[in-house]
Amino acid sequence: MATTATQQTKWWSGGKSPFNIEYGKLMMWYFLMSDAFTFGAFLISYGSIRFSQNFWPDPNVVFNAFPGAGHANLPLAFVSVMTFILIISSVTMVLAVHAGHNNDKKAVIKWLGWTIVGGIAFLSCQAWEWHHLITGTHATLIDGQIQWVGQTTTVNPWGNLVDAETLTAALKNSTVQSIAQVVHEQHGNTMSHEQLLGLPKDQLLNMVNTAELHIREKGPVAFGGYFYGITGFHGFHVLSGVVINIVMLLMAKNDVFAKRGHYLMIEKAGLYWHFVDLVWVFVFLCFYLI
Amino acid sequence: MEHQSASPEVTFTHHTSDADFRKKVIRTTVILSVITVIELIIGLIIYNIHKGPEPSAFLVLAFKGVVCILTIAKAYYIVAVFMHLGDEIRNMIMTIVVPLLLFIWFIAAFIYDGNSYKNLRNDYDKHFKESTMPKGHHKAEEHKVEEPKPGKQ
Amino acid sequence: MSEALHVHHDTAVGHDVHHDDHGHHHQSFISKYIFSMDHKTIGKQFLITGIVWAIIGGLFSVLFRLQLGFPGQSFPILETFFGHWAKGGTIQPEFYYALVTMHGTVLVFFVLTAGLSGTFSNFLIPLQIGARDMASPLMNMLSYWFFFMASIIMISSLFIQTGPASGGWTMYPPLSALGQASDGSKLGADLWLISMALFIVSQLLAGLNYISTILNMRTKGMSMTRMPLTIWALFFTAVLGVLSFPVLLSGAVLLLFDRNLGTSFFLSDIVVNGQILPNEGGSAILFQHLFWFLGHPEVYIILLPAMGMCSEVLSVNSRKPIFGYMAMLGSMFAIAILAFLVWAHHMFVTGLNPFLGSVFVLLTLLIAVPSAIKVFNWLTTLWRGNIRFTPAMLFAIGFVSLFISGGLTGIFLGNSTIDIHLHDTMFVIAHFHIVMGVASMFGMFAGIYHWFPKMFGRYLNNTLAYFHFWVTIIGAYLIFWPMHYEGLAGMPRRYLDKSIWVSFNQFGSLDQMITIVTVIVFAVQLMFVFNFFYSIFKGRKVTSTNPWGATTLEWTTPILPGHGNWTGEIPEVHRWPYDYGKDGREFIPQTEPIGANESKH
Repeated sequence: MATTATQQTKWWSGGKSPFNIEYGKLMMWYFLMSDAFTFGAFLISYGSIRFSQNFWPDPNVVFNAFPGAGHANLPLAFVSVMTFILIISSVTMVLAVHAGHNNDKKAVIKWLGWTIVGGIAFLSCQAWEWHHLITGTHATLIDGQIQWVGQTTTVNPWGNLVDAETLTAALKNSTVQSIAQVVHEQHGNTMSHEQLLGLPKDQLLNMVNTAELHIREKGPVAFGGYFYGITGFHGFHVLSGVVINIVMLLMAKNDVFAKRGHYLMIEKAGLYWHFVDLVWVFVFLCFYLI
Repeated sequence: MEHQSASPEVTFTHHTSDADFRKKVIRTTVILSVITVIELIIGLIIYNIHKGPEPSAFLVLAFKGVVCILTIAKAYYIVAVFMHLGDEIRNMIMTIVVPLLLFIWFIAAFIYDGNSYKNLRNDYDKHFKESTMPKGHHKAEEHKVEEPKPGKQ
Repeated sequence: MSEALHVHHDTAVGHDVHHDDHGHHHQSFISKYIFSMDHKTIGKQFLITGIVWAIIGGLFSVLFRLQLGFPGQSFPILETFFGHWAKGGTIQPEFYYALVTMHGTVLVFFVLTAGLSGTFSNFLIPLQIGARDMASPLMNMLSYWFFFMASIIMISSLFIQTGPASGGWTMYPPLSALGQASDGSKLGADLWLISMALFIVSQLLAGLNYISTILNMRTKGMSMTRMPLTIWALFFTAVLGVLSFPVLLSGAVLLLFDRNLGTSFFLSDIVVNGQILPNEGGSAILFQHLFWFLGHPEVYIILLPAMGMCSEVLSVNSRKPIFGYMAMLGSMFAIAILAFLVWAHHMFVTGLNPFLGSVFVLLTLLIAVPSAIKVFNWLTTLWRGNIRFTPAMLFAIGFVSLFISGGLTGIFLGNSTIDIHLHDTMFVIAHFHIVMGVASMFGMFAGIYHWFPKMFGRYLNNTLAYFHFWVTIIGAYLIFWPMHYEGLAGMPRRYLDKSIWVSFNQFGSLDQMITIVTVIVFAVQLMFVFNFFYSIFKGRKVTSTNPWGATTLEWTTPILPGHGNWTGEIPEVHRWPYDYGKDGREFIPQTEPIGANESKH
């Protein structure tokens, strides 16, 4: 086969790959391209809806939590951790593919292992973020009263800020539970939630520090739908990438590639993994940065 | 086995030396990290502009544009170096890159129509406009209707 | 995936040693005919499944034509078969909408996408480019079985209590998104979406396979410009599918979320039966954008294979080289690109921004250029040819005729100003049925009649074939031509009963005629199906390897090629595929080396 390498001018004349790559890699590339259109369609739909709204939540307000940091306002912190995890796992994947080129079984296993760890770490971060967004409730103006809601696919607590008059009126309309929670959030640990619930409504209302209270209206519902839909779809890709990498790891361990004489399979898994990273770059841009 | 060849379709494989490769990977990793850090800084700048007393829409837009360009640069490095597309034959690169040009019209038309939908709703659905327009922007909004038209509801 | 690389060694082509021990493996019935990995068997599986679907989809059209031609009239037999769907023998509104929806879905996706490009891509690509099989036979098999699963789910939706999806084959929300809006939008719509998702997976598996096979597996000497136009057409079809189906997948997934998770991607400001829905902020137009971003390329996914096969059949049976091979390639390429740029011309009156619409008008009208080039080339290929009127040839000529008549009305509809008057009328029905539906069916028939000998080693019955052709072409024009007049007069499509409009009463007898012709044409298609299955077993046997005197590679294989296609080495290719009537010879096969003093073409 080395003899044909000399006639490089006739790539297209048949009998060989015009791109000098095996069909599997070619297919993987075109699959990724078509997958790029799936993600592209999601993100472009998101853009279209965003442009059709008068108001869109500021991501820095929405994504400002960090595990273990309580209520500290840390915009972009957690997502930058997630981004770096994916970049690093991409680097380890490059090293695994390179080790495969050198038929270095030990190195392949090592770097694949680290890539899998990175993938699982990313998924765990995502799980925490979703959990935090869904269960972490926020005082929101809904139907003229204050309700505590999390970020779900049907409601969005990140609308416009409510002005002082509306807020005072809304507080009067709200249930004791809601007001008690407001007071509890503001005054920390001075009284337990149960104790607060026992107080009369008027007393509770007096305890609310309205000047410090920033309540928002409901925001665009599509925010949650797109966020969960697209990061979920991306997370699903990460998950399948991790599964593929685990399969690769086991195959490498069992000498399947060594017997075959080449580790080209790792290369294809690598392409998929980098694509996952590539998509994250754009998800990061669309949801967290702009 | 220095020439790994999976099949007769493939006549040779390109090989880079370990040292070169290591240098390239480290360089790319550094570039990606630096770009990401710059993006994060810009993100925080935008956040602070928003928090400020008179947020400048133009400045925010300009920074967002910069972030978009930086993201495309990141995508370029991931695809060209990590996915080794830069090492492939030119024609192969073209078959990947050229179809992606479809995204230009795809994005432009969708965004343009999304924006148009907003304007239509603001014109014909007063409730939508009043309930979603950020406070204080009512007068500043340049899109005005001369004659009041019957609303949707 | 591990399997994929594994089979790779077996399917290697080119200067690799031949694999003639391939066909001699002992294969069980199941691995030979059911879970087969042979591209020819998979092609036949697609074809037969497509035929079954075509009968079902065609029957639906007969049923709703009965309602349109004879509104309010009772056909007691319908109640016997369809129970409460046709209470008292008249077609109920829900039933009518279910019928039109399923007719569109089935014909567009299952018959003319899977049945047409699925059949002929699988069957012809390896045979015509000189490959043992597809790049990945396993993925090829999976592609069929994903299609089969999609079919099963779609069929099962016909038998559920609330009936199949009935919001139109385009599934526009909010109608398709809200179960309270219509019976068909209950479980049926979910099944439709799931079935379509599986179908998209099938199309992706298939398309990736076709593309990499055509690029990587061509035999020695088969450069891209020596490929038959069929292969080029199938190549562009696959590219269109790979790039546009994912967008429909996104739309379908978002619609599933809207239906089941309470999201508001496509829903806003809706009141159903006096109940205000909480959904806010979605855009119904967005779904249409997503749908038609696939939907328009889909039209060419359907049409391009027909174009390619008819080019081939026209050239073979005119005994003349195709006129303007490179122009054909160029125009197919232009069509493939433009297919992605014009989707919103289906949405001129939906509330789409009118300025954006005008850009889409411009891009849409550009398609007329490559289409006209192709028509010109077909006609000049026929011009002064030594024409043999085989059934395949007749269908190919019929295709050209239909493509012209249907294409011209496309220019009307592509102008947004005229479309304001014509949209959602019978004019649109006439346009797309002629140019895309019937024309592609004709391409499919041409392909079947032409390659049936290669598929089954027997001929179809010619008498029945000629009868089939003449009834179908006359019937097609009788059915669809009058619809132009109805549409110009403003008669809307999608309506159950138009008899309450006094102004349309004048078309009553015309509609009856259309319905009667539909029934006749449908019966003749059944006769074709009979001919098809009868000839598989009892048809006249093919005795020579090259019955049509064609130049392409598939006719260098044995009459019934085994797994691996060529018994010896794969032949090398030395010339383009259209050397007909050259240097006093009737045809010169692609495998023949260029002679010393041969003239240039």
